[in-house]
Amino acid sequence: MANLNLTLKVWRQENAQAQGRIETYKAKNIPDEASFLEMLDIVNEELVHEGKEPIVFDHDCREGICGMCSLTINGVPHGGKKVTTCQLHMRQFKDGDTIWIEPFRAQAFPLLRDLMVDRTALDNIIAAGGFVDIRTGSAPNANNMPVRKKTADAAFDAAACVGCGACVASCKNSSAMLFTSAKAAHLNLLPQGQPEKNKRVLAMVRQMDALGFGNCTNQYECEAACPKGISVDNIAKLNRDYMIACAAEAVGVFA
Amino acid sequence: MKDIKFPVSDYMPDSCIPDGPIAEKWTKYKREAKLINPNNRRKYTVLVVGSGLAGGAAAATLAELGYNVHCFCYQDSPRRAHSIAAQGGINAAHNYQNDGDSVYRLFYDTVKGGDFRAREANVYRLAEVSCNIINQCVAQGVPFGREYGGLLDNRSFGGSQLKRTFYSRGQTGQQLLLGAYQAMEKEIGKGHIQMHPRTEMMDLVVVDGHAKGIVVRDMVTGEIKSYAGDTVLLATGGYGRVFFLSTNAMGCNVGAACACWKKGAYFANPCFTQIHPTCIPVKGDYQSKLTLMSESLRNDGRIWVPKSREVAAKIRRGEMKPSDVAEGDRDYYLERKYPSFGNLAPRDISSRAAKEACDDERGVANTGRGVFLDFKDAINRMGKEWIDGQYGNLFEMYEEITDVDPHEQPMMIYPASHYTMGGLWVDYNLMSSIPGLHVLGEANFSDHGANRLGASALMQGLSDGYFVISATLPTYLTTQTPGSVTTAAPEFKEAEDAVKARIKKMMDVQGTKSPDEIHRELGKLVWEDVGMGRTKESLMDAIEKIPAIREEFWTNVKVVGSAEGVNQELEKAWRVAAFLDFAEVLCYDALNREESCGAHFRLEHQLADGEAKRDDENFAYVACWEYKGTDELPVLHKEPLTFDTVHLAIRSYK
Amino acid sequence: MNDIITTACKFVTSSIGRKILVALTGACLLLFLVGHLAGNMTIYGGDPGNGVPSWIDAYATGLHTMPAWLLWAIRLGLAAILLIHVVLTLVLKIENVNARTQYQKEGTLKATLSSRTMVLTGIMIFCFLIFHLWQLTVNGDPANCYQHIVDAFTNPVCSGFYILAICCLFMHVRHGLQSVFQTLGLSTRKVRPLYNIIAVLFGLVVCGAFISIPVAVLCGILK
Repeated sequence: MANLNLTLKVWRQENAQAQGRIETYKAKNIPDEASFLEMLDIVNEELVHEGKEPIVFDHDCREGICGMCSLTINGVPHGGKKVTTCQLHMRQFKDGDTIWIEPFRAQAFPLLRDLMVDRTALDNIIAAGGFVDIRTGSAPNANNMPVRKKTADAAFDAAACVGCGACVASCKNSSAMLFTSAKAAHLNLLPQGQPEKNKRVLAMVRQMDALGFGNCTNQYECEAACPKGISVDNIAKLNRDYMIACAAEAVGVFA
Repeated sequence: MKDIKFPVSDYMPDSCIPDGPIAEKWTKYKREAKLINPNNRRKYTVLVVGSGLAGGAAAATLAELGYNVHCFCYQDSPRRAHSIAAQGGINAAHNYQNDGDSVYRLFYDTVKGGDFRAREANVYRLAEVSCNIINQCVAQGVPFGREYGGLLDNRSFGGSQLKRTFYSRGQTGQQLLLGAYQAMEKEIGKGHIQMHPRTEMMDLVVVDGHAKGIVVRDMVTGEIKSYAGDTVLLATGGYGRVFFLSTNAMGCNVGAACACWKKGAYFANPCFTQIHPTCIPVKGDYQSKLTLMSESLRNDGRIWVPKSREVAAKIRRGEMKPSDVAEGDRDYYLERKYPSFGNLAPRDISSRAAKEACDDERGVANTGRGVFLDFKDAINRMGKEWIDGQYGNLFEMYEEITDVDPHEQPMMIYPASHYTMGGLWVDYNLMSSIPGLHVLGEANFSDHGANRLGASALMQGLSDGYFVISATLPTYLTTQTPGSVTTAAPEFKEAEDAVKARIKKMMDVQGTKSPDEIHRELGKLVWEDVGMGRTKESLMDAIEKIPAIREEFWTNVKVVGSAEGVNQELEKAWRVAAFLDFAEVLCYDALNREESCGAHFRLEHQLADGEAKRDDENFAYVACWEYKGTDELPVLHKEPLTFDTVHLAIRSYK
Repeated sequence: MNDIITTACKFVTSSIGRKILVALTGACLLLFLVGHLAGNMTIYGGDPGNGVPSWIDAYATGLHTMPAWLLWAIRLGLAAILLIHVVLTLVLKIENVNARTQYQKEGTLKATLSSRTMVLTGIMIFCFLIFHLWQLTVNGDPANCYQHIVDAFTNPVCSGFYILAICCLFMHVRHGLQSVFQTLGLSTRKVRPLYNIIAVLFGLVVCGAFISIPVAVLCGILK
């Protein structure tokens, strides 16, 4: 175990309207076993004792599953170690390092304060069509519909998305294609999702476009930054499904 | 040591359990239940607090039925509720494995697992709807694990001899929650649910004795607002963070439940808190939370500490590698103490045994609070590949967090607070002692008794949310005129003013300690005294010290920033204040319950082999605590528990 | 009919729809490149030094013997494809810039240099194209094509510009080719590395062959 002394360059901004700026903080005696967020806790505790306002950041479960934590670390969402920020540990850094900490940036993610942004846009994409439209209590027996194991596994791989928004924040175009395509693929792969497949694809893509995200240019930065390893195969699939859905809509196979 | 004499009341609200044979109660209830015409449903406004499995499922289902639903959560999206972190699975009595499962067996196992402190009728209903939950989730597209034939696979879990647990790898909670979340988003998209994320419930508004609204704080603007409804559904989870360190999320808190308690809802069995034996140990004072490692590891790992304190000290100082400790110097204490069970001893027993070893200064980890979970023998016996096939992702996760490869060196584990069986008292309708206030999921006390079996929490949350509340809510709503109360009622203004005053009071202290420091102090005390093994002395110690910490909070807390806008320090302070108000009743309940049962272990009451010694004659009841003031003793109401179907017996897994 | 028009409008205004159009036009332009290269390679045929005319003269003359309407149809078709490709890309790019907020410190994990400079290389290629058409098509004489090319590339500035533009083309194709497959939904984790190899090989061969001409002129192989 070793202790680290670090220089933090942190984005501070009082509220959505205020002018933001980078401020420099010293993080002293940080145990290398601490997680990144615990490092910020230590810095914040000191700020509070000095009577200053602590750095605001989103976090909740701190075990890498809720998707609430964000932070762009040295220009890369979650620090680029294939884990969420809460699971990033300080042993990944060296004594004397300077670390840049910024919010997840995108026009579709309005900044609320410091490192906290509003990711409601992602919920809006789900609300447009990221579901199977069934009513509680109307479901048939679960084993009435066999699903190929491979299909179920592929659907699970897509469904493992935690909705953190790192894909958007890492994308050079702030595109939400990885998020949208993962959710669409999860449901489009399964037999349960077939009846609404075309409707879902069109609704989700159109909603995504309307929310002001950018357009995918196939750089795969999202896949590299994703803490859950969601594959850009989903994007290819969404492109394919979108073409089919448009064709179906145009010729009236489904209206 | 002076004795505390709790005021006891004879009054107990009716638990509204339908009569008739246990297997027909729910059917009978549904057959006779009141109904509301679809056109009239939209006139009723339902306020759902919390968006986890219980809250999310309830909001979605009620919106589908046509009610006007508002849902509130403190996270930035309903998809982030802490139900998402559940790993193992969800039980259901489908008997897809043909191993003899049935509703009755699931019911029996759950009652027995809860050490006979749960309400039979509720548990039976839970077992009955368990199959519907799986059907519902599969239809929503939840990707459960499947066999090559395309049908659903099952696992076996602690406390049962059957394979009845449905799972999605190690992320079952996540997938189930996403199912409920998608159902919610579907209704949000249709305009049937109004979602209020980043909104924390601060208080309950009671008008003429009925819960008719809530006061919330908008966590972005800091605005204190009220919402009126015809009923309030509380699904705010458990109070495990009273111990500060727990496997719960950082935001999990007792604030909403505590506010309801103060407004007259009884708090039932708060001393039933589950401590999970296999978590990654505490690293240091700065630590914020503990991470659970699946209990399944105990199938192949052997638990030990060094026999001598000297060796343990050397390991703690890093002068010796655990793998270099000779076989003869290791104390496989679970195998030694419980030869028939060995490393698979029940959760409560293995947790306590770890604590004893560490209290004996033979603990490892730099804090001395840790024991080894060693896979050396299993690797030698079965090979590395086999082990990786079984536990690969867990080994990776452990290495990620600790930087230690469990193939080379044993894992270190220590027990941590995980789940709380206690909660607000509810009747069969899931309504609390305040008419109109319904409580769902972990926030209520109902189905797990003194101990929760693995894979039962998800089942209960979804059962309450999808199937129970939709059937029981009309029982209350039909007695109410829809929209009869608006936020214009003076009670709303009063409650808002009280919240504002309390916020101002805590912000005006401007002392020297941060809310987290005080929370840590409280957590340490409660963990030491009311954690795994409780004695009268330890409980009295806690009862004496908690008011002092509370006093310190109100005279020395430092909340920086302002009440307007985002202020995470204020959020923390508000939640700590609630834990401080709540912590004593947890101790009172533990003190009052002069027996050991399930997760509640009083060292004074144990059998010769260290098993919990129940006292059915005196304590086969639900202890319901009525708030009388922060410095007053709460009043005890008792709901007697009768076991007509499952006969009271010593819980034994030998 | 209305449905088809509505859907078509939605398609060409959606992000995926426009990307698909960019991919399809890009694929056409890649095919054009192959055809153009095949024609160019005829420059190595014949032996102009010894009085045998270069094959490229015959090829160029041959192109001009096709009916004028066909020639113009091909030219306009190509121009339309190019225009769609360029205009849609620029519109998408503007949207992308507007969708983003700059980081104070930028970081990149995987996005290749070529993928991040697509618009830049594209503009470069477009400028070159204008010059190229002006130099060799507008002011060219099909019967005297060989000599015209050799004269042009004897000027090192002209050759340098050509080589630079083709290097940009390589960068553009290296990302663009595999991108076509992804956008058209024909890509998976397993085949993606293969597309990358194809893109690099294709780029190397095509661009290498193009560049070989000014190099050969400068080295005196073609005179």
